Amino acid sequence: MADEKDRTNARPEVDERGRSKVQDVDRSLYDFVKSEEGYERYADGLTPDIVRSISAKKDEPDWMLKMRLEALERFHDIDMAPNWGPDTSGLNMDDISTYVSPKTKQARDWNDVPADIKDTFERLGIPQAERDSLAGVGAQYDSEIVYHNMREEVAKQGVVYTTIEDAIHDPQWEPVVRKYFGTLIPMTDHKFAALHYAVWSGGSFVYVPEGVSLDYPLQSYFRLNASGAGQFEHTLIVVEPGANLHFIEGCSAPKYYEANLHAGAVELFVGDGARLRYSTIENWSKNMYNLNTKRARVGADATMEWVSGSFGSHVSYLYPTTILQGDRSVCEYTGITFSGANQDLDTGCKVILNGRDTRASMSAKSISKDGGVNTFRSSVVVGRHADNARCTVSCQSLMLDDISRSDTIPAMDVRNRTASVGHEATIGRISDDTILYLMSRGCSEEEARTMVVNGFANPVSKELPLEYAVEMNNLIKLEMEGAIG
Amino acid sequence: MASELLTISGLSAGTEDKPILHDIDLSVGAGETHVLMGPNGAGKSTLGHVIMGDPVYKVSSGTVTFDGQDVTDLAPDRRSLAGIFLSYQAPVEVPGVPLYSFLRTICQMRPELKTTARKFRQRVGQIMAELDMDESFLTRELNVGFSGGEKKKVEMLQLLLLRPKLAILDETDSGLDVDALSIVSKGIEAYRRDCDGALLMITHNTRILERLNVDRTHVMVRGHLVAEGPASMIDDIDRNGFGAYEDGLAASQGEKVEA
Amino acid sequence: MASTSTCLEGTTKAMTLAHVNVPPAQTWNYLKIDQIALSVPVPTSAGTVPTRLPRLFSRIGAGVGTEAVSWVEATTGDSRYVEVPRGTVREEPIVLSCDADAGEVRDSGVMVRGGATATIVLVSHGSGDAEGDAPLSPTPAATSANLVRVYAEKGATVHLVEVVAMGDERQHLEGIGLVAEDGARVDARQYLLGGGRVAVGFEADLAGDAATLDLDSRYIVRHHEVLDVNHAVLQRGERTRCDIQTSGILADAGQKTMRETIDLRHGGHGSKGNERETVLVTGDDIVNRTLPVILCDEDDVAGNHGASIGSVSSEQMTYLADRGLSDAEAEALFARALFDDAVIHAPEQQSLSAALDRAANVVGDDMAHDLASGLGIEPASADDPKEE
Repeated sequence: MADEKDRTNARPEVDERGRSKVQDVDRSLYDFVKSEEGYERYADGLTPDIVRSISAKKDEPDWMLKMRLEALERFHDIDMAPNWGPDTSGLNMDDISTYVSPKTKQARDWNDVPADIKDTFERLGIPQAERDSLAGVGAQYDSEIVYHNMREEVAKQGVVYTTIEDAIHDPQWEPVVRKYFGTLIPMTDHKFAALHYAVWSGGSFVYVPEGVSLDYPLQSYFRLNASGAGQFEHTLIVVEPGANLHFIEGCSAPKYYEANLHAGAVELFVGDGARLRYSTIENWSKNMYNLNTKRARVGADATMEWVSGSFGSHVSYLYPTTILQGDRSVCEYTGITFSGANQDLDTGCKVILNGRDTRASMSAKSISKDGGVNTFRSSVVVGRHADNARCTVSCQSLMLDDISRSDTIPAMDVRNRTASVGHEATIGRISDDTILYLMSRGCSEEEARTMVVNGFANPVSKELPLEYAVEMNNLIKLEMEGAIG
Repeated sequence: MASELLTISGLSAGTEDKPILHDIDLSVGAGETHVLMGPNGAGKSTLGHVIMGDPVYKVSSGTVTFDGQDVTDLAPDRRSLAGIFLSYQAPVEVPGVPLYSFLRTICQMRPELKTTARKFRQRVGQIMAELDMDESFLTRELNVGFSGGEKKKVEMLQLLLLRPKLAILDETDSGLDVDALSIVSKGIEAYRRDCDGALLMITHNTRILERLNVDRTHVMVRGHLVAEGPASMIDDIDRNGFGAYEDGLAASQGEKVEA
Repeated sequence: MASTSTCLEGTTKAMTLAHVNVPPAQTWNYLKIDQIALSVPVPTSAGTVPTRLPRLFSRIGAGVGTEAVSWVEATTGDSRYVEVPRGTVREEPIVLSCDADAGEVRDSGVMVRGGATATIVLVSHGSGDAEGDAPLSPTPAATSANLVRVYAEKGATVHLVEVVAMGDERQHLEGIGLVAEDGARVDARQYLLGGGRVAVGFEADLAGDAATLDLDSRYIVRHHEVLDVNHAVLQRGERTRCDIQTSGILADAGQKTMRETIDLRHGGHGSKGNERETVLVTGDDIVNRTLPVILCDEDDVAGNHGASIGSVSSEQMTYLADRGLSDAEAEALFARALFDDAVIHAPEQQSLSAALDRAANVVGDDMAHDLASGLGIEPASADDPKEE
């Protein structure tokens, strides 16, 4: 294996321009595969029958099945944009199984989770994190949630954290799901949004009642174990007025040579005066097509915060979108994308400022190396009535070698005279002076480069809870050093 | 005593989160020359900007009266038309606006200065010659890419064109720059000679005052005016600094003075 | 493909150029920021064999796109070709004019040979705004075009001044293509002063080492005017430098789309690309679109972009207020200054007349001629013989 060979090199490789070669991440932490024996796996490809089977298996209400079937038609109608975005021709839906489920019931106790799955999540540190610092945890393995639990004191405050499947069968929550599900991200949004609604499975439903503030985050962890499969979870979060939630999602998958697909959807409803922080550390394996859609609608005086670290995937299309509908609402986006060999990551964010006195500030960073391609893509749309709206976009890209690529494509459309929109972008490499300075103080070149990259990423990692910041820094360190077993 | 041109009474002001000026009383008579001195960060520049009506600062109490009119709530452009001029220590760059267009616009809106393009051009030419300015500046963008000395010349050019009743020259940082010093001196000389206006000189450096006929001197420490006196006070400050004034303020506020 | 139809005026057949001003990198199509469509007259065969530009020029892109270039080449009569001999300094500006009122469609090529220096002036001039309410979109018959491609050989110096000045009944297509060899230096000033529907492409290929481009682009868009700009700079040579500054005023119900692309290609070691945009918005019904793109395929480069959209900075506003200008007066100053700046930099009579003419339309007669008479740069009139 290439990874194996690299790891035996104690000294970093040096290219023709005398730069040390930054090596690929050691993925043994994530790259273990569990047997699928005894799993329920639906046939590859997409047919109305498969969609009906998924729906029947979940014993869904009629409206959901209708929605799925309509979405399937849309999927066939809508094409990917021909004029922009990474190549998705390597993704053939006929080779993707849209539903793979372990033969297990959802557990509330880690002890009840089957041994191989439990081992997976233990190796990823999920139960430990739950004990230490989380208010609740959900864990999805392939197409189904296998574990869901929340601290009792949180439940007592009326907070609901469950699967959409369970919520839909609860007479109290079915109307809520029905009211919100699919309203923020329409199935016509793009081709893979349509696919998502046809075959969605798993994900979370979170409801935080008015005025309730959670001291600890809730976390969902998504693991795609099966090869040649898709994960299509739907996350629906309703934060009622004045409430406060931090939600974290983590994603990983082992490396396969077949294409895997992730086409989840995240719909976030942030009530007046509420606050929601949504953090993501994404480390899909590098055969993953990540075509995820995330969107938030924000009420008056409310705040939506995105923190996003993207490390994995072969191809990504990922642009968390915020609609600042209420007056004085606020959006902050902090993201970093790290693109290495065989990765084409098209990431960024969108914000629509509709309310008066709304504020948005977006800060994006990217690092490209080993032929990786990074595209920062954003859009800022300021509506006619958004008096006094303020928006700043800042984008910094770091090129670690001359075979990689970094593009910045920010669009702005402003329709209000009193609005002010600012944009700053810089692309460059680590200056030779900086490296020389650090080396003159005794750092090796590799240490110096790692130090600079970590400093570059610091504004993102400092927005994450400690354990996740550590995970992110480790990912960077691994990307930069390569040699830790 | 000359009739009062500027009267500040009981003025307190600051930014939204920080009070800077405390209970300031200060009067300047028509045609007089006053000096406002004080250590760095005392609030001298702030006072200049508050007199001009800079929206960054909020007046919490007190009044500013100019030429018989209460201007405390007046926008800066109205104060400018009333005859107050504030020269910046760091003039703002305004890309896209040729110096000529700017000067012409600010003069044409004052009835007393309104004139034909040709006559205006002559006047500008005379003043530029006096300030030793190349006329090619007229087609360059306002302050964009100008050196510190060039920016200072542009400020003096505006002073002499606009002929204000009161000129506030904020020279807090330029005391040591010989070039700027001579430009400002030249400008002041011409202003005193041709316009007969009053002058409020803000500085913490005394060299710029050597060639000035100063009527009154004010000392500001930490946002308080702590002393007022004749021109001779400048020599005293030159020799002894502001220490005594700072101690005096601390003592009057009942604070402990560190030895 | 372009479709044809008979336009309302009866005799003129119209076709649609669907993809004008497409930038090198595009984005979400629903934003409608990737191109402009122009409805133009179908080219008619003049029955003669017009002169064509040397083949070299057909390979130079002009930002407007191949569809638009083909339309110009098919529509124009004789093309204009000017060559500036090696090592010479051409004092007399090369004026490439386009009479918008006559619906002229021009295709020009300028070869600036090694080490030569030339000033190229593009003047696209038409009469003033329509009486009363202008049409929301000019008719295809009211279309003019000015396409200019410039080849700057090693060490050449090119000064380019471009004035687009016409009323809101006119539709205009303007394209500038530029190739710069080793050490060639180009500075360009664009004054986009009016027109009902104006598409301006500008494409520069800094192919040679140490080639440089300074582009200063200024515009005013008012009433129901539509201005669509596509600036694209390819930096291929080593140590190339590109600085693009755009600034403009958006008034009334004006619509502007500004695309800026800096494309730092692999192998262009030590190259630097900068773009900076400021927009002053004074209209309540404006549409202001901006797509500032940096493409980077090389690590030993620096790319920067900055944009500020909205009002003038508060420091500037305060400074101007301290000199007696209210907000509205300061905005009026910015409009006047745009025309004054065009007058100051007009290198010859045609561009000067076009700028003054348009200024009279937009800021009024007195204001329009104030700077010119103050600085003594009034255009020569028929009974006032040219001074040399």
